[in-house]
Amino acid sequence: MALGRAPMRTRVGKRLRRIIERPASVELTKYEKLLPAIGEREDDLRDRSDDDLGRAARELRTDGDFSTEQLIEFCALGREAGRRALGERAFDVQMLGVMGLLSQHVVQMATGEGKTLVGALAACGHALQDKRVHLISVNDYLAKRDAEWMRPVFELLGVSVDWVEPATTHAERKDAYGCDVTYGAVSEIGFDMLRDRLVTKADDRVLPRPEVAIVDEADSVLVDEARVPLVMAGSVDAGVVDEEVAKIVRRLRLGLHYETDSDGKNAWLTPAGSSVVEKALGGIDLYDESGAERLAAVNVALHAHALLARDVDYLVRDGKVQLINTSRGRVAELQRWPDGLQAAVEAKEQLPPSDRGEVLDSITVQALIARYPVVAGMTGTAVAVAETLREFYKLEVAVIPPNTPNIRVDEPDRIFTSPSQKLRAIVAEISQVHEEGRPILVGTQDVAESEELAEKLTKAGLTCTVLNARNDAEEAEIIAEAGKPGTITVSTQMAGRGTDIKLGGSAVDAAERDKAVELGGLYVIGTARYPSSRLDDQLRGRAGRQGDPGGSVFFASLEDDLVMAGAPDVPEGLAADDDGEITDPAALRHLNHAQRVVEGANQEIHRNTWRYTRLIERQRSDLLTFRDEVLLTDTAAEHMRAEERERYDELAEQLSEETLAQMCREIMLFHLDQLWSDHLAFLADVRESIHLRALGKETPIDEFHRAAIPEFHKIINEAKDSAVKTFADTEVTDDGVDLAGAGVKRPTSTWTYLVHDNPFDSDAEQALKKIRGTLRKKRR
Amino acid sequence: MLSVIRSALATPDLRKKILFTLFIVVVYRIGAVTPAPGVSYENVQACGEQIGDSGAQGVYSLLNLFSGGALLQLSIFATGIMPYITASIIIQLLTVVIPRFEELKKEGQSGQGKLTQYTRYLTIALAVLQATGVVALAARGGMFQGCDREVIPDDGIIGTSLIVLTMAAGTAVMMWMGELITERGIGNGMSMLIFLNIAARIPIEGKQILDSRGGAVFAVVCVFALAIIASVVFVEQGQRRIPVQYAKRMVGRRMYGGTSTYLPIKVNQAGVIPVIFASSLLYLPDLVGRLVGDPTDADSWFQQFLQTHVVNQSSPIHIGGYFLLIIFFTYFYISITFNVDERAEDMKKYGGFIPGIRPGRPTAEYLHFVLGRITLPGSIYLGTVAVLPNFFLSVTQEGANQNFPFGGTAVLIMVGVGLDTMKQIESQLMQRNYEGFLR
Repeated sequence: MALGRAPMRTRVGKRLRRIIERPASVELTKYEKLLPAIGEREDDLRDRSDDDLGRAARELRTDGDFSTEQLIEFCALGREAGRRALGERAFDVQMLGVMGLLSQHVVQMATGEGKTLVGALAACGHALQDKRVHLISVNDYLAKRDAEWMRPVFELLGVSVDWVEPATTHAERKDAYGCDVTYGAVSEIGFDMLRDRLVTKADDRVLPRPEVAIVDEADSVLVDEARVPLVMAGSVDAGVVDEEVAKIVRRLRLGLHYETDSDGKNAWLTPAGSSVVEKALGGIDLYDESGAERLAAVNVALHAHALLARDVDYLVRDGKVQLINTSRGRVAELQRWPDGLQAAVEAKEQLPPSDRGEVLDSITVQALIARYPVVAGMTGTAVAVAETLREFYKLEVAVIPPNTPNIRVDEPDRIFTSPSQKLRAIVAEISQVHEEGRPILVGTQDVAESEELAEKLTKAGLTCTVLNARNDAEEAEIIAEAGKPGTITVSTQMAGRGTDIKLGGSAVDAAERDKAVELGGLYVIGTARYPSSRLDDQLRGRAGRQGDPGGSVFFASLEDDLVMAGAPDVPEGLAADDDGEITDPAALRHLNHAQRVVEGANQEIHRNTWRYTRLIERQRSDLLTFRDEVLLTDTAAEHMRAEERERYDELAEQLSEETLAQMCREIMLFHLDQLWSDHLAFLADVRESIHLRALGKETPIDEFHRAAIPEFHKIINEAKDSAVKTFADTEVTDDGVDLAGAGVKRPTSTWTYLVHDNPFDSDAEQALKKIRGTLRKKRR
Repeated sequence: MLSVIRSALATPDLRKKILFTLFIVVVYRIGAVTPAPGVSYENVQACGEQIGDSGAQGVYSLLNLFSGGALLQLSIFATGIMPYITASIIIQLLTVVIPRFEELKKEGQSGQGKLTQYTRYLTIALAVLQATGVVALAARGGMFQGCDREVIPDDGIIGTSLIVLTMAAGTAVMMWMGELITERGIGNGMSMLIFLNIAARIPIEGKQILDSRGGAVFAVVCVFALAIIASVVFVEQGQRRIPVQYAKRMVGRRMYGGTSTYLPIKVNQAGVIPVIFASSLLYLPDLVGRLVGDPTDADSWFQQFLQTHVVNQSSPIHIGGYFLLIIFFTYFYISITFNVDERAEDMKKYGGFIPGIRPGRPTAEYLHFVLGRITLPGSIYLGTVAVLPNFFLSVTQEGANQNFPFGGTAVLIMVGVGLDTMKQIESQLMQRNYEGFLR
């Protein structure tokens, strides 16, 4: 009895706790019960031929949902397919993961537990239920690698698979999306969607109707990437660079002529700075109405000069400025800064200016994901963002236990007073650990830091390999060797890299592996805490995969960027020893607090992005309904006929009916897209200052809507009117219709914009700030 | 106006929100008139009438106003939401003093959630305190002075604690209802409940006038009341728009100068707070006099001065003092809530400027200048609205006071909340492609 009651009590207790605490995860017990049944099918399937397996999978195909028996059969088939194709027999926990994904959860699985196979099997599962699956990953490299790696598994189960990357041609893209399962980076799929919204021929669209999305590295994609909308821009004309301004700004000095804020997001001129600039520009007044244009150029140049650092925010490669995506430490191909900033950076680096662009369309990751009726995800760190996932995506997290328990040793953070003391201690720590031959992975914050550290290590007589945005093509090789005894790897942000570090290196050499294990496994060193504890965990997670030994430690200083951004008021009286190390628990508390502040601020940005884009997405979908009508029917031609009868009849004699209809269509679509682009620019403009409305006790979001809605209602009529005008003016030459001559010019190339939103002013509490300020002054 | 309501009701989820709010309102009003257990309903009614006739409710009238009359009914919602308001103010103030609170406040939503939790606990504690005070006062006969009926027949420890518990629980329920409205209904729940409390007094007060003064006076009062409300609505929407330009981006073809980028400063930037400060301050001498002095010793010069000039709301000294205090508090409140230096600094940081004015100090000085100019009419307006009832209602009815729902604090709060809620409904309507109606 006593024995029976104890588990009963814990079970009830567990239930109660779940109700009270509203836990971040859901139970998977109902799927755990299926595991034995899946295991029983194993022996039988092992003896079947490959063809038999394929046939069995085909028999499972259904246009409804799997029944429990079908689910068991499918899991057993999947396990066998994985074993044959890759030599990897999926563990029970992986089967749980597959079932978690099939039941539309975000499953949390630690690094090295074989998420890729889990994702592939779940994709097969959905495909066999007659749904088209998009497997969305963080970057193009992973999409391609995973698709190629898992292809044999898909083939065994009779499911077609392909991937898309930026280099994929239009025809290939269409084929890829025609497969049962398509791998692609979130940005790639997002931009395909944005491009689809701008086509002028119905056949040019590549994306099929969205059905199932499985998101790999779900936290990176759904949370980190979602802060910034995907923005597509098109080049309108050659960029102009204000060389004069660039030259003047280059001479300005921090502190004297301009200042920056502690989190490095803004820079502004001091009075001394603005008079210097005004004098240099020939004695103009920057701050009267006429100076605004010049002032914007100065501000943009100052931003480029003061806030964007070469090798931190961008690289200069092949005579071009390439942005670095700081959250991933990679070069962001095809990404640019908006609003003239790109040209200003190019002027700063004395490079020729690239084309000037304008925003054509944008979409948030949220809206992109919301198009899929079925969504699931997987990642190593989901619980930390469970609230966000629930709030924004209505997704629940399911935690899958590791196959073998994690025995990694996480040492407490080591905190120093200044970054230089910290760096010294890091070098000392690395050389000490390296002496034993234990493999070391160092995670740094940015490219510049990784290079600085590498230099310091070289000086100290240590050889290390650097992995950063400069050489991310060699990523796979570097990572493959990072687990070899005696290796030191210095890397930028590891989150979303998705590659495993295997102990002992790439060569399957048991002796090397045993040696690495004996030394204590991979030792991970973080050179500073990241802007969220989740990213810290991502780095730590590189050690101790699949029950291997491993260790991790984070170094931090109280002058790190994170502390400066989150909580610059460091408590006084923290005693440090001779090396500058602080052991006072208050320092750790302060560090954690700073991290939480930054996390909170980032979440707020996410929420604001969402709040402010919801209406835009709505308007876009309203407009798209009309656009589709123009695209798919002859609405445009009918309209022209009604408005410009004479001209229409005249043209109808010269052109075939089809050509004329297409011409009308293109004119109408051009104006629609143009007006939408203008509308977006208008909204960006309103958005910039709308927070000021809070001062008049108005709600900024409501005021934003009040400004945005009437403007939107004008678009369709305006597009029709302008289209009629253009139609009347269009010349028909021997070569056909001269649309370009009539001003109908489509952007020649498209790229993406990196857009950051200013965090909003909190509305009130001025009085408290004032009291707090006075108290502070008194205390001092 | 009617078309607004029609289109609001025609939108399914908005209709759901409005109906939900109405449902909470009904539940709340039922609670507000349900006497707490152990209170003699009969005696409370009798005393209430007696007091209402003599107009001697001065000290508690503000509290009574905020509780929608529930206080003097000794109902289960007698303590109302005042404990919640006090608790949130205290917690806000504590963020200044306690570092841990300050940290929580900065940590975004999760930290704010914890602070809200603390506010709730403190609300319960304060509600128990306030309920104890109310019950003790009522049991000793101090609540209805001059009425010798026993409002709480059983004043033993168990009987009174039951009432205290009930009232504290009532506050907790109101807090919950407020949050429910914010979450699932329309407008800000707490403001809504205050609005409701004040609005609930209108029919009662109106009937009193009708009964005691007759139809003609009643009609005049109604006309005046409507005029006051209309003018308050007018002034409340008035704002000075200072043009602002942001020059951080190189914009393309189209410029949208002037249409939407401005910094609004309201004529009544301070809202209703200065009036509440001023009236509380004017009650203070009376309260002190009652607590310190011997109320029976009505002949001392202090008591006499107090009664004739300060407590008596139609005395010129009271009216003049009230008016001046409001003007003072308006300036004071704006000076601490509108930090011109910080605004100028923010604008400078984000690349904004007022055309023709340099950023930084000159901008701050300019804002200060404009603010000073606009505050003068604003404060005079506030003072006028606040003292109006003293002037003209004292002529029509003995014992009418500041908190008569057609004037002063009450009308300012009602119009404020009403406008906010309308704007919110409008914004939601507009999102569903309806045309705006608030011009």
